[in-house]
Amino acid sequence: MSITITNLRKYYGKSAAVDDFTLEIPSATVFGLLGPNGAGKTTTFKCMLGLARPTSGRILYDGKPLMPATFEQIAYVPERSVLYDWMTVEEHVEMNRRAFAKFSPARAFELLETFNVERQKRARALSKGMRTAVMVAMAFARNAEILVLDEPTGGLDPVNQRHVLSLMINEAAKGNSIIFSSHQIGQVERAAENIAVMDRGRLVLQGLVDDLKADRKIVEGIFPDVTFTLDGIANDPRVARSDRTERIVRLLVTGGAADIASRLSSAGAMAVRVLDLNLEDIFLYAVSPANATTDVVVRESSS
Amino acid sequence: MPAILTVDPRSGVPIYLQIIEQIKRSIALGVLQVGEQLPTVKQLAIDLTVNPNTVARAYRDLERDQVIETAPGRGSFVRANGLTESPRVAVEIGRDALDLALREAKAVGLTQSEIRELFEAALARWFGDFKK
Repeated sequence: MSITITNLRKYYGKSAAVDDFTLEIPSATVFGLLGPNGAGKTTTFKCMLGLARPTSGRILYDGKPLMPATFEQIAYVPERSVLYDWMTVEEHVEMNRRAFAKFSPARAFELLETFNVERQKRARALSKGMRTAVMVAMAFARNAEILVLDEPTGGLDPVNQRHVLSLMINEAAKGNSIIFSSHQIGQVERAAENIAVMDRGRLVLQGLVDDLKADRKIVEGIFPDVTFTLDGIANDPRVARSDRTERIVRLLVTGGAADIASRLSSAGAMAVRVLDLNLEDIFLYAVSPANATTDVVVRESSS
Repeated sequence: MPAILTVDPRSGVPIYLQIIEQIKRSIALGVLQVGEQLPTVKQLAIDLTVNPNTVARAYRDLERDQVIETAPGRGSFVRANGLTESPRVAVEIGRDALDLALREAKAVGLTQSEIRELFEAALARWFGDFKK
């Protein structure tokens, strides 16, 4: 099931948690939603699930608005696990069985075993990671078409984190959609095909992880002395950002790295390098305004 | 088949390109043989814990480059004419490695003749000096 978010806005009082956010989430894939704390990820999830009413904008599932029948198709793992302290893990399984027609208790117990969660334990006796594991097990036992996972690896050890990623990959292979947020960029980088980056309620970057890596490069030039000019290279539309310190210039390009590199050479750079960016680099560039870095930023004026 | 390849998701090289590179390399080295079946998209995705669409994209490109062929319902195989393919792949790998070395050498400001000298010396080290 594909999800279409159009011009979503959510205000709490006068402050916008989500501000004119538009996004298309295709089916049968793992989609990573990234953003600094307070970027609006959780609010977006809540609006998607009908847990928060959008101030304006639309969210459609396969072209249709959220309807009671859609809920059966969506499983949600909230950032803070919602468990009843006095109930055992087993009782939570039973509660889910009663609530959701397609819920499979057998699958839930199998997953709980994978995560090494004891079924007789009361929720209050579970560690943070184990609570996350219970929520994840319940969600993946739902046989839902859409899984919305808000920090689904919070508190989990590396082995269990990998279990969660494998479960996500498995679901995508079955044709289901997974939307997840995580501060562990390495996980998103591994499992997600698409990503969107939110910052202060807005969409600041979106695309296939592989394409973003293929296109975005740092082109670095070192010049013989400080009095070099870039001959307007920094104004090339493919140059997203230009950081210049004394004899070194670093250009963030969104394509044509080889071409930009040879132009730097022509401009007199004695050493030119093209550097790959991993997702963490790409993320940091997307959420840090150019003038917020310690580097001196020079946008060449076109003369 | 245990995963014949590994990916480094933290690298700046797109994962689908890493998969393509390694499959080509495996064929060139004879680790994967002509007619040999590749893991299914789903299986490789699960083995590597990467998105199935990413693996599918790599397989599509490998098919386009005639390195593998996919029989619907049967799976993907190293192409029957992969034998003729292998030297080409080997040439590609060698050329890419040389390109990388040349880019570095040029970047640090070596001239063409200086690089040639280095290259000759390296050839001599690796293959023995035929000239003398």
